Amino acid sequence: MDELERAQSSLGRALGRARAGEDRELAQRVRELGEQLSRMLSGLLALTKLHDPSNRAFDAPVAELAHALSALVDLLGTVHLVTVEDQVYVNDVRARDEGNVAKRDLGGALRRHNVGGISFHAPLDSRAIRLLVAELAANPAPEGPRASLAAALREGEAGTVELHGIFRFQQGRTAERAVQRDPGELLARMLALVTETWNNLSAGRALNPLPLRRAVVEMIDAGIEAPPFWLAYPEAPVHVVHAVQVCATAQLLGKAAGLHLAFLQDLGIAALTHDAGYLGLSPDEAEAPLARHAFEGARMVIRQRGFSEAKVRRLRAVMEHHRDHSSPEGTPSLGGALLRVAEDYVNAVRLYGERTTRARILGAMLAAAGRLYHPILPQLLVNALGRHPPGTLLELEGGLLGRVAAPARGPELWDRPLLRGIDPATRALTGEWIDLARGTTGVVRVLPG
Amino acid sequence: MAPPQGRPGGSGSAEEPAEAALETKAATAAGRAAAAFVGALSKAARSFTLYDPSNAVVKGFLADYRAAAAAATAEGALVLLVRPFQLVRAGEVVYEEADRERSLSFRLFRDGLRRLSFEPGVPWEELLRLLEILAIRSTGVRQQEDDSVTLLRKAELQAIGFEAVEGFVPEEESPEPVEASRVSAEASAPQGFDTPFPRLPPPAELSHEPIPEEALAALREEERPESFGRVALGVAAALLREVARKGLPAADARRFLVEARDYFVADGSFGALAGLADLATRLPGGALRDEILRSLGDVRILDLILASHGETRELPPAVARLLPLVPAEGVLDLLASEKRPARKAVLLRMAEARVPAETGAIVARLGGLDAATAGALVRAISARDPAKTAAALEALLEHPEDGPRIFALEALAAHPGEIEAQKAFPLLRADAEAVRIAAARLLERRGEADAFDPLQEQLTRRRGTSRAEADALARALATVHPVRAGPVLGEWARARRGVLRRALGSGDREELLRWAAVTGLGALPGADAARRIEEVAEHADEELRRHCRAVLARRRKEAAGRG
Repeated sequence: MDELERAQSSLGRALGRARAGEDRELAQRVRELGEQLSRMLSGLLALTKLHDPSNRAFDAPVAELAHALSALVDLLGTVHLVTVEDQVYVNDVRARDEGNVAKRDLGGALRRHNVGGISFHAPLDSRAIRLLVAELAANPAPEGPRASLAAALREGEAGTVELHGIFRFQQGRTAERAVQRDPGELLARMLALVTETWNNLSAGRALNPLPLRRAVVEMIDAGIEAPPFWLAYPEAPVHVVHAVQVCATAQLLGKAAGLHLAFLQDLGIAALTHDAGYLGLSPDEAEAPLARHAFEGARMVIRQRGFSEAKVRRLRAVMEHHRDHSSPEGTPSLGGALLRVAEDYVNAVRLYGERTTRARILGAMLAAAGRLYHPILPQLLVNALGRHPPGTLLELEGGLLGRVAAPARGPELWDRPLLRGIDPATRALTGEWIDLARGTTGVVRVLPG
Repeated sequence: MAPPQGRPGGSGSAEEPAEAALETKAATAAGRAAAAFVGALSKAARSFTLYDPSNAVVKGFLADYRAAAAAATAEGALVLLVRPFQLVRAGEVVYEEADRERSLSFRLFRDGLRRLSFEPGVPWEELLRLLEILAIRSTGVRQQEDDSVTLLRKAELQAIGFEAVEGFVPEEESPEPVEASRVSAEASAPQGFDTPFPRLPPPAELSHEPIPEEALAALREEERPESFGRVALGVAAALLREVARKGLPAADARRFLVEARDYFVADGSFGALAGLADLATRLPGGALRDEILRSLGDVRILDLILASHGETRELPPAVARLLPLVPAEGVLDLLASEKRPARKAVLLRMAEARVPAETGAIVARLGGLDAATAGALVRAISARDPAKTAAALEALLEHPEDGPRIFALEALAAHPGEIEAQKAFPLLRADAEAVRIAAARLLERRGEADAFDPLQEQLTRRRGTSRAEADALARALATVHPVRAGPVLGEWARARRGVLRRALGSGDREELLRWAAVTGLGALPGADAARRIEEVAEHADEELRRHCRAVLARRRKEAAGRG
C-alpha cells in the first residue's frame, strides 16, 4: 500500500467515524425533503391570498408540509431553513427547484418580517403550521416585525420555531470583532449563552453544542486561572452561575490532570449543560429530581443527531455526574468523575459557604476520596485551588480583609494566593490587589462567607 | 444559533458556477500556484460526497493536492485570507465560489476562520489532517458538534497556522432584539436543585501532595481514543437499562446503538463491536432483544470479519461474538458464490451461528447453496432449532442437485414430527431414479391417501421404470391407501393373454406391473393378499416366482417383527 492509498484508508476511516449514522443518501433525502418543505411553505403562503388558513383547502398541503418537516427532524434533529435572495437552503443543502415560482418568493415573504431563516426544533402539528402560515401572511408589525412574529408563535405554543435575522457577508468588509481574550467579557458571554441554552431546551429546542464549545475554547485560551472566573459573577440566574462555576472548576481540575484539549472542550460543554435535565423531568419524577435529572440531561444530548466521540463523552459525563466512585453500578467515567468533584465543591460552597470555609469543604471532600469521589481527584483539586481556595475571605495582618481571587499559582505559592482587597464596611471588592507571595503581609485567620 | 444565511454583499448574485470554472484573478505565478492548490484542496474535500474514499478518482485528487501544496509553498509560506466567498493571497483572489453549499471559503469564514497559512515543506500528515477536517465539514450533514476552528484547534497542527475571530456573529441587516424577552431566564432549575447534598466525613487537613505521574497517566488513559469504545458501551448499557425500566423509549436507545455500530464499523473496532453484540444478546429474550439485534445487523461487519480473518477456517472467539450482528442474508449471499475453501468454511460457521435467530432466512436460501453447505446448514438447524428441521428439509427438496434432495427425502422419512409429504410428489417425476425411489419410499412411510394417484400414475405411465423403482412405488401405493390398492394390484397381478395383453400395451409393461403388484400385495394386510401372491407364483416364470417367494418371506418376517 503506497502513501496515497494509506491516506485514502485513513481518510475513509475518519470520514466514516464522523458520519456514523449518516448514509450516502442522507444528503439527497435532505435535499428532496428540503425542497418539499420550502415548496409547501411558499405554496401555503400563496394560498392565503385565496383562503383563510383554517379553510379545508389547506388540509392537504399542511399535511404534506408536516410530513416533510417531521421526516427532516427525524433525520437532522434541528432543521435550519435559510433563504438567500431566491435560494433556499436546508441545513446547508441547497433546495434546487429554482423553477418553482412560489418557492422563489419564499425569501421575500420572510423578508417582510425581517426574517432570513427559520429553525424548526421539533415537528409541527397542523394547528402550529396554520399559525405560522397565518402570521407570515399577515402584515408585519411596523416596529420589530421579527420579534412580534416570534412572540405570536410563542404565544400560540409554537415556540419550537426559532426565527433568525437577515445576515449579510460583505466581501472584504464584514464587520467583526477583534480577537477578544478579556476573561470578564467572556464570562458575561458565557452566562448569556448558558441562559439562552436553558431557555432553548425549555422551549423544546435541541441542544446546540457548537457555541458552547467555542466559548469553552475561549475560556481555555483566556486562562482558566483568570480571576473573573473565580470571583463573584455578574448578575445571572443561580443555575447559570452554577453551570459556569462547575465548568471553571472542572476545567481547572482537567488541566491539572494534564488532559488533552479535545477532552477539556467536551468536559466544558458537559459542565455547562450538566443540570439541564431538570428541565425534562415529568411531574412524577419531580418528586425525586436529584435521582433523575442526570439521566434526563443525557436524554437531551441523545436528541442531537449524529454520533461523535465528543457527544458520547459528554453524554456519559452528564449521565454519571452524581454517581459515587464506589457505586454498585460501577465507577463513573472520567468525565462523570471530574464533574462530580467539581459540582460537589461548587454546590457545597453555594449551600454552606456562609457557615464554613472553602478549605474545610475541600478537606471534607478529600476525606471522602475513594468512596464518593475518585481517589485522586480531590487531592488534585486541593493542589489546584490552594490552601485558600478562590473566594475565601481572609483577615490579614494589619486589619486588612481580602478575598482570594484565583487558584494556586503552583506548588511553591500554594498557600500564598493572590487576593482582591475588601472594603471592611461593605465587604465589597475594592480595586486593590494583594499578593501574599510578596511576603508583605500574612494571614491572621480564615473567615467563612 | 442557526447557520446564518449569508450572501455576497454588493454583488447580490449567488449563481452557481461549476467548480472547474472557478474564476480566479491570480495574475502572478505564485498566485496561480496558490489557486491550483486551493482548487485541488476544495476538489479533494468535496470528492467524498461523490466517491468512496477508496475510489481511484480520490487517489488522483490526493495526488493533485499533494503536488499543488508543494508547488504553492515552494517559494515560501503561503498565507490565505479568508473572505466570505473568496480566498485571497497577497491581494490576489485565488478562489471564488458564491454558492454557499459548495463554497470552501464560506464555510471557513462562517466558522470564524480569517487566515490560513502553510509553511514551506508542510508535512503530508498535516495536509491530510486539514483535508480530513474540510471533508468532514463538506460531507457531513449532521455536523453540529464541531466547526473547522474547533477541529483545527484539536488537531494542533504545527506547519499549518490559522487565525480565527472569537464569538463571530455575522452582521445583521436590520438587527432587532428578537427574543430578548425569551432570554430573560424564564427557564431555571428547581428550588433546592442538587440537594440533598451528600453527607461528608469530618474534614481532613489540607496540604499540597504531588500526584504521582503514573496515577495521572492512569487517569488520562480514559481520554485516549482507544478507550472510547468502553465509554460508548457504558452509555449503551445504561440506555438499555433505562429502556428495560421504561424510562426511555426503545427507539432512542436503538438509534444510539445503530450510530455506535456505524462508528465502530468505520473504525474497524472489533472489540467495541463485540461488546455491542454482547449487550444486545444479553438482553432478556423478547421483542426488545429481537428488535435491537435486527437493528444492529449490518453486512459491513461481515466484510470486516472476512477482511481480517486471514486464511484460518475457524473464527477467533472475539470475532465469533460479532456473529449476532451479521445478517444471515449477507452471509448466504457470499456463501452461494464463494469458492475459496477457507473463506467458505468461515462463512459456513457464521451461517450456522445464525441458527436459530435467523433460521427462516437460511431455510429460504438453502436451494441456492451447494450440496455440502446446504446439508451442513440443515444439520445445524436440526441440532439447534429442531422445530424448523422439517421446513429446512422440505426446502431442500427444491435443491437443483440430486444429493441434497435424496438426503432431504430420507431425512424427512425418518423425521419424528409433522411433515408435508405432498412436497415429495413432484420428485416422483425427477430425472434421477434414485430421487424418484427416495420420494416413493418417503411416501411409503409418511404419505397419506392423497399420494395414491401420483404413485399410480407414475407406475403406469412412465416408460423405462426399473423393478427397483416399481417396488418402491408399489409398496408406497399399498401403504398410502390399502383399500384402493387391493383391487388395482389384484388387476395388475392377473396374467393376460392375447387381446387383453395387446390392449394393455407392451408385454414389458405388463410384466413390470405384475412384478409391482406382487411387491404391493406383499405390503397389504390380510390373508387374501398372500393368497394372490401365491396364485401369481403358480403361473409365473422362474424370475417372477423367486420374487413372489422373496416377497412372501419378507411379509412373514415383517409380520413376525410386528409380533
